[in-house]
Amino acid sequence: MIDLRLKIDPLPIVEPLVIRLRNEPQNYQTEHDAVLVDTEGTRLEYDYNGFSFGLHRQDDENFDGDVILALPGQRIAHRLIRSKSPHNTFLVTEQCDQLCVMCSQPPKKHHADLFSQFAVAASLAPLNATIGISGGEPLLHKERLFSMVETVASTRPDIRFHILSNGQHFVTEDIARLVAMGTERILWGIPIYAADRLTHDRIVGKDGAFQNLQRGLGILIKAGSSIELRTVVMQQNKDRLSDLANFLFTRLSCIDVWAIMQMERIGYGRMNWATSFHDSSTDFTQIAKAIDMSAARGISIALYNFPLCSVPPQYREFALSTISDWKQKYLDICERCGSRAACGGFFEWYSHKEGFAGLGAL
Amino acid sequence: MTAFPLKFRQTADGDVLFCDDAGGFFKSDDAFLSRYAHDQFTADDDAFLLRNGHAFEEVGDLAYSGFEYRFASRLYAPGPLDYIILVPTLRCNLACGYCQVSRVNENTPGFDWSNQTLEAVLSFLGTITAPKIKIEFQGGEPTLRLDILSTVRDFCRSRFERCEFVVCTNLQDVSDEVWSFLSLTDVYVSTSLDGDVSTHELQRTFKSARTAQFVENLDAAIARLGNGKVSALPTIDPRRPPEPKSVIEAYTSRGMNSIYLRPVNYQGFARKRYDARASSSAWNAYHSSFIDELVEFNFTAEVPAEEYYFVHCLRRILRAGHNGHVDLRNPNIVGHGYVVIDHDGKIYPTDEARMVSRVGQFDLSMGDVFTGMSMATVDALNEEAANNFHPDCVHCTYQAYCGIDLVDDLSRYGRIDLPKDQTDFCQRHLALFDKIFAMIYSDDPKIRKSLAIWAGVPSFDASIARCHQ
Repeated sequence: MIDLRLKIDPLPIVEPLVIRLRNEPQNYQTEHDAVLVDTEGTRLEYDYNGFSFGLHRQDDENFDGDVILALPGQRIAHRLIRSKSPHNTFLVTEQCDQLCVMCSQPPKKHHADLFSQFAVAASLAPLNATIGISGGEPLLHKERLFSMVETVASTRPDIRFHILSNGQHFVTEDIARLVAMGTERILWGIPIYAADRLTHDRIVGKDGAFQNLQRGLGILIKAGSSIELRTVVMQQNKDRLSDLANFLFTRLSCIDVWAIMQMERIGYGRMNWATSFHDSSTDFTQIAKAIDMSAARGISIALYNFPLCSVPPQYREFALSTISDWKQKYLDICERCGSRAACGGFFEWYSHKEGFAGLGAL
Repeated sequence: MTAFPLKFRQTADGDVLFCDDAGGFFKSDDAFLSRYAHDQFTADDDAFLLRNGHAFEEVGDLAYSGFEYRFASRLYAPGPLDYIILVPTLRCNLACGYCQVSRVNENTPGFDWSNQTLEAVLSFLGTITAPKIKIEFQGGEPTLRLDILSTVRDFCRSRFERCEFVVCTNLQDVSDEVWSFLSLTDVYVSTSLDGDVSTHELQRTFKSARTAQFVENLDAAIARLGNGKVSALPTIDPRRPPEPKSVIEAYTSRGMNSIYLRPVNYQGFARKRYDARASSSAWNAYHSSFIDELVEFNFTAEVPAEEYYFVHCLRRILRAGHNGHVDLRNPNIVGHGYVVIDHDGKIYPTDEARMVSRVGQFDLSMGDVFTGMSMATVDALNEEAANNFHPDCVHCTYQAYCGIDLVDDLSRYGRIDLPKDQTDFCQRHLALFDKIFAMIYSDDPKIRKSLAIWAGVPSFDASIARCHQ
């Protein structure tokens, strides 16, 4: 597992600070850049606008181009952007208005507003980067989120966002702004668990959520937004996948992709694993049917977080390697597998004892 | 609840097929039709229609906007001009009885681009603003003017970010220089193999030595260029077609697994020799038997095969937005995304329009490379190029999947206002869509296997063929 936190020498700051790390002085481009001046064992010393700043590394890691966030009084900096990785996500809030049974990031009451810092960090990202925005529910702070996107769009039009939202908080008045922000700039990742109110609302722990979700999706559609619908498949909804496939074809053909996802065993997902995890390696029937119904009718469909060997051969082309590098692992059985390079592997917190029963090296 | 309008058609097995304007479909029976006609839907009917996208509760709800989207994305909107068909010469070294493209003998002077024409064509290409271009060289036999092909290619490569060149050649006499050109990485070969080798000789080469020479060149092209860069079309005479089995064998044995059957085209010089006007029923019967043979073939074949146009129509039924083929679009807007430049520098909206003009029926040209494009004729044509409001098409169950081909109507009947069901285009497509729906609703495992392959899915799910009682 890649640690997303770095040990630093405490900085004399009173406000959160965003710094981009550069190895070579000629790469100094903005006031946010710190240039490496010395390496002594595990300690890297940077020059940050005339101040000395020390960072401690574990291996031979190269931080050139990475963007970190330092908080007042803390010896830990957060690695917001790893320049060599395609998986960079800002956790913009931990507040949420849903309580989903499989949530990997259970909500907290407190919110620290770091949107200004995130805007700076995004503007320092590598060319053409896509930045994930996650929570909590980012749209609980819609105004701040939208201004952050607008700020970045004005200075870095090449940057794109993949925003995970429960789709509960769009209003008709947002349409003009969504269009102005650029429908290609943001891919909205919106969860939908079933085509019926009862099942969906029970899974997300909120009455009326399905109704709100339909309204929210209607607004995104009118704006012409790019949409990725996300369905974690669980014991609670696996038998309703084909109804959902039909719902998406008739109502939501305009989506960019429908992602059927495996569970992540952390947070509520860990707590509810026994009652929620669906072992798709032993019963793929409902997922296969959803793929057959969707792909034939022109809906782009993909499997996220499915190890390749858990998927029947004729459906493997739909399984994408989607687990972020920093929380990805492989098992002992993967040692002798010929398909490892194409496979996303497992979440760091996957437990094979309680996991897929039908795996094997390919 | 409000249901979107349904159109219906009795099927061969006595059921009734219902389709809506967005391409949604299901089968039901006379009792349902009667309830529909008398506005007596049951609660079950309501639930079925709503669940399957044939109805909505409120204007603007997801069922409504989902329907709007599926309807709208079935409409074709032309993109920027980025596909040009060039006819640098009408001369040809073959004299096929059905020649669709109006040709002259190899030694006839005056049917090649002059230097001025070539220069004007290059200037015309220079005005195209798209970043990529596809050039298709037709004829005549375009390799007789390899010098022009090379000049055009050099120009395009200096002018566009990405280029693709297709040479439509009979592969009869291929010089070393021509082989070198065909071997270039951005050059593709499109040729004719008329079904099987004996039919090819009957229709095209006439002498066994000439036939052998062609077959040798075809096999050499596949070996040298790879079968991904060589495609072939069989032109079929519906009155004496080759056995489907032998066509499939001739193609698949060469690794060409997409077969695009073309009926002899009632245009150009073909009209003088064949009575293709009334041939749609013969064609439909042959095409249907060809599909049946493919279904048999695919059941056991290691590498499956397809009939290109059948698969295109199948996908148009299943999906919205499947508008990639110029022969089947609605509205069929011509003269925008692609044009044809003839041997004399005249510009035409389609190859068929070029032939209609050449035989003197109508002048469908749209200017020339010397004086520029003039859109008056194609604008007039395009105004009639939608089936959405056509008095015949509005009643047709298959309207959402179908298209319109005014140039074909003009060519066959000299007018575009014939009742649609009397046209060859309509008769051919009715038969095709009937066949496809019969297959969609079949539970024959052989048919289901081919449907899965042709729809691009691991298994053809039975729930796509919805029924309601």
